Amino acid sequence: MRYADFTWHDPIILLQGLGVSLWLFLATSAIGLALGIGLALTRYYRVPVVARLVQVVAEFLKNSPVLVQLFLVFFGLPAMAHINVTPVEAAMITLAGNTAAFVYVIAVSAMEQVGRDQVEAARVFGLTRGQIVWRIIAPQALAFAIGPLIGLAVNQLQVTSLVSVVGVMDLTKVGNILNMRTLKPFVVWTVVGAVYFIIARLIAALGGALERRLRAHAAWAGL
Amino acid sequence: MAFDLTVLVPYLGQLADGALLTAEACFFAVLGSFVCGTLAAFAATSAEPGLRRIAGAYTGLFRNIPFIVQLFFFYFGLPEIGLYIDAFTTGCIALSIAGGAYAADVLRAGILSVDPGVVEAAKVSGLTRLATFRLIVLPIALRASVRPLGSVFINLILTSSILSTITLNELTGAAKIVASTTFRPFEVYFVLLVVYAGLTYLMSLAISLLHRRLNRYMAEG
Amino acid sequence: MIAIEKVGKNFGSTTVLDGVELAIAPGEVVSILGASGSGKSTLIRCINGLETVDAGRITVDGFDVAEKAGLAEARRRSATVFQLFNLYPHMTALENVMLAPTMVLKRPRAEVEAEARALLERVGLAARAEAYPAQLSGGQRQRVGICRALAMKPRYLLLDEVTSALDPEMTAEVLAILAQLAREGTTMLFVTHEIEFARRISTRVVFLEKGRIEVNLPTAEFFSEAGGLANPRIARFLSRMAAPEAAAPLSPAPTDAHEAS
Repeated sequence: MRYADFTWHDPIILLQGLGVSLWLFLATSAIGLALGIGLALTRYYRVPVVARLVQVVAEFLKNSPVLVQLFLVFFGLPAMAHINVTPVEAAMITLAGNTAAFVYVIAVSAMEQVGRDQVEAARVFGLTRGQIVWRIIAPQALAFAIGPLIGLAVNQLQVTSLVSVVGVMDLTKVGNILNMRTLKPFVVWTVVGAVYFIIARLIAALGGALERRLRAHAAWAGL
Repeated sequence: MAFDLTVLVPYLGQLADGALLTAEACFFAVLGSFVCGTLAAFAATSAEPGLRRIAGAYTGLFRNIPFIVQLFFFYFGLPEIGLYIDAFTTGCIALSIAGGAYAADVLRAGILSVDPGVVEAAKVSGLTRLATFRLIVLPIALRASVRPLGSVFINLILTSSILSTITLNELTGAAKIVASTTFRPFEVYFVLLVVYAGLTYLMSLAISLLHRRLNRYMAEG
Repeated sequence: MIAIEKVGKNFGSTTVLDGVELAIAPGEVVSILGASGSGKSTLIRCINGLETVDAGRITVDGFDVAEKAGLAEARRRSATVFQLFNLYPHMTALENVMLAPTMVLKRPRAEVEAEARALLERVGLAARAEAYPAQLSGGQRQRVGICRALAMKPRYLLLDEVTSALDPEMTAEVLAILAQLAREGTTMLFVTHEIEFARRISTRVVFLEKGRIEVNLPTAEFFSEAGGLANPRIARFLSRMAAPEAAAPLSPAPTDAHEAS
């Protein structure tokens, strides 16, 4: 069957799929990072009720499968709230929420490592809350958190592949389509796997370079 | 539609069957990943550069490719080369290999933390390399690695939900069927999240117990 | 007989052992003295095969430790006691002692256990047989270490600064046991800083300096004015070691203290 063979068009749709995966990854990482850090601050400032609630939800999200979270948003939310949720929206909500949960845990532990005595010292000198967070805690906490955050990023890139299950046209979904059309699973999944592998190594390499720069800076500042 | 869990009562049996299948798959996956991880960690810490490279390639590859892609590779690919195995076995194999890559890194760190003097004592007493690894290095490394290994196994439980994409009706697969028959996806998936969180909680309790039991007399310095 | 023939060993560009010639016959207790970094411990590590020699040859009862089969046989004939004990932390004292006899010599468990308990009894640890290393004091750990070595019924006991990590009281515990072993005729190669003890139990004393054997004499001769003490380096070394309180401000400083490295 001629039409079952690979065509010159296939690399292009693979690239399109890759584009969707990368876009989802970057967008949900950015949202998750901002949200996770914001939520971590509720813990740091011991906001009553909210802090506790956030902690429980974060633990819950960390300890349940992303695939099921995705199903809850994509199938469950429309049925319960009578709203329309597109596959991409469901993917965005789920991945951003999941990333936020992991960022929250990393950020909380990083801020705890900074130590409250420094904050108290800063307060004595009359720095405002905003100044303390921005000038005292953030730079040091970032040095502690950067390693785990890079690990998280490599992991979250892989997690984006799950959105193919609800029909988002990401790299894995394109792989599925090519697999069904060409019936050459070894070639298709090897290529798809290789692309993910390369992107993951790229993220790790970029993260490593960033970490070295941050650490060099931290070491210098510490002297 | 109001949130109503009672609609699920008639389907509890079906969900329990799914949970049982998940438990079985996880049991084999934990065993399999432990074996793969131990072998790879042995290779990764050996004096042989060739073995170290192979172990590095294994962990690097399977830690950086999404599990679902690995799963499809095995599920669709194995029949291509004439290996017809059922979805359950395929799933267990894929989970074991992927989990093994993570377990290998944990165990490698544990092995490298073993006091070299203790290993020398074993060597000098005449134990063979394999006996030294089996009787001295691995038991000490395992005691140091109980908690991080536990995290790997907890992740395996969560990852096993992806087996539903290759027609396996484990917990998530069974829930999908119940969701489409009851038209109550929110309740179904909400309960499912709670069940998974409960499973991982139990697992982490077991890990803590094991950690404390194995390290009773290991406190030193 | 342990025969060390023209043995040389380098770590990178540093020469640790340089043409060492030494023979230890059955029944001898040979003490090896020397400053830190003189190559004493390395010599022991070459005999039990933890380091490979770069020149020369070491044989234990004729078995060359450079060969795989020879090393296996040499390791059956000798046993090592370590400075930092190196007990297996996940095993009880009894299990530590029993491991090699059951796994390497393949002897029946019941028999080995009876012997192991007898050994622990002999060093005063019968009641601590089921304790784990972390539950024992340093001196007790080292006594287990000695039992672990003796359980292999070695022809040669290699002791690598076995009291260096112990306080004086624990050192005394361990030395008492070694003295008893010496009286019973156990062949020992004894790397140590305990000069007085070496003088009491050894049949021969070897002085290593910068990887070379400076002096190798029967004990009485080594410590006589006309013998070892005639060698200025040994005299200096002994005076330095004999005055451990040298660091205290009130005691007179040795004249060559600035040469100590």
